[in-house]
Amino acid sequence: MFTFDPYSPAIDTDPFPFYKTLRDEYPCFWSPQAQTWVLSRYSDIVSAGQNWQLYSSAKGNLMTELPNRAGATLGTTDPPRHDRLRGLIQHAFVKRNLEGLAEPMRDIARTAAEALRGKDQFDFIDAFSSKFTVRVLFAALGLPLGDEQTVRDKAVLMVQSDPVTRAKNEEHVAAYNWMRDYAARVIAERRAHPQNDLISHFSMAEIDGDKLDEREVLLTTTTLIMAGIESLGGFMSMLGLNLADYADARKAVVEKPELLPDAVEESLRFNTSAQRFRRCLQQDVTLHGQTMRAGDFVCLAYGSGNRDERQYPNPDVYDITRKPRGHLGFGGGVHACLGSAIARMAIRIAFEEFHKVVPNYRRAQEKLDWMPSSTFRSPLRLPLTVH
Amino acid sequence: MVKIIYVEPSGNRRTVDVTEEWSLMQGATASGVDGIVGECGGSCACGTCHCYVEESRLAELPAPGSNEQDTLDAVAAELKPNSRLACQIKATASIEGLVITLPETQG
Repeated sequence: MFTFDPYSPAIDTDPFPFYKTLRDEYPCFWSPQAQTWVLSRYSDIVSAGQNWQLYSSAKGNLMTELPNRAGATLGTTDPPRHDRLRGLIQHAFVKRNLEGLAEPMRDIARTAAEALRGKDQFDFIDAFSSKFTVRVLFAALGLPLGDEQTVRDKAVLMVQSDPVTRAKNEEHVAAYNWMRDYAARVIAERRAHPQNDLISHFSMAEIDGDKLDEREVLLTTTTLIMAGIESLGGFMSMLGLNLADYADARKAVVEKPELLPDAVEESLRFNTSAQRFRRCLQQDVTLHGQTMRAGDFVCLAYGSGNRDERQYPNPDVYDITRKPRGHLGFGGGVHACLGSAIARMAIRIAFEEFHKVVPNYRRAQEKLDWMPSSTFRSPLRLPLTVH
Repeated sequence: MVKIIYVEPSGNRRTVDVTEEWSLMQGATASGVDGIVGECGGSCACGTCHCYVEESRLAELPAPGSNEQDTLDAVAAELKPNSRLACQIKATASIEGLVITLPETQG
């Protein structure tokens, strides 16, 4: 009997065969383990993502939601509140406002890459991507240096879920609480000594003359820090993995770094780290012969939509010449990733510098340990062999 | 459904049936139309769904709000009198058959 349990280690390791069965045989599937409907076809996910009136985010968007978070972040509010909140933050993250970060990012990438020179083997995540992402986020948000390693460790823990209890365990919740307290300290510091930066502006912003709710300021800042570190780092490790596995693609982007954006887009399609998010139905909906009820949760399996043969021919082939339009690697609809421009820019710069020092590499071990998470998918470690 | 004709930067004309009440940005990105990004998801913050509305029908649309005007000031391609943000235009029966031209660049 087929089932789809997003808490299962088998799904962490390789969800793609399960997704294919879902798309072909159970396009609207009730997962008893997750107590959630699962939509897996590209067109169904796109339609749901656009229809926030029906598929609401206000009850949370993570497959396993953090306590008392829903309703206070961009990802967990619906328009029109969401749009106003997003407008306050988005301007800092649009492409044209990021140019000033290019040189600092390149310096960070160069330093992180230089430390790898002469090594035969290293963990891409520990030795490169985590160092890069945490420093870039600290530069982008103007965070005080000193806590980088702890902030990174907590960000990685708070997105995980327990495969046995199918919930956040104590360690995950403690990491989330730590991050919230850390964000509170940064906000308090900025209010006392305002600077011309995102957190200063956001923590004192108003919508229609009303100050933002304190929980909104706090949890949105917490989420920005989590996403900036964990989501960016998780995706970097997936791109690193793809380039380690597909030597022709790697050679192409090493030889012509201007092809890196194509490899990034194809990796976002092929195996994005943001595999699944959740919505809550506001009315009964019948889809593919199944009736979903108002109040039911619905999982939008972006990672499956990206492999839907109804949308992308030969979807299981990694092809950097594909230029996949409309992929769901950053989600879609009103909640499409806030940080897509900074992520694309950071990753391109990181790999340009990485490849100058390490142009030839492959996986050091066939079997990887995958992060236990019902929402995200990336390896915990990515040992690479230089050749 | 409302028929909208998107003219991609290549000159290619794409006719898309957009769900009523969706924005023209949503209709375009959900159908893989070229020349439009919609980086901010439709919150009128990024200016990457800049489009030129068919001039003879410009007056049929509700005028842009101050939010939209501010964001239009920062678009990447040439700002013209018929420049609009596609995320701020809703598909309604009254704009059936509207022609929207997408610029060379969204930045």
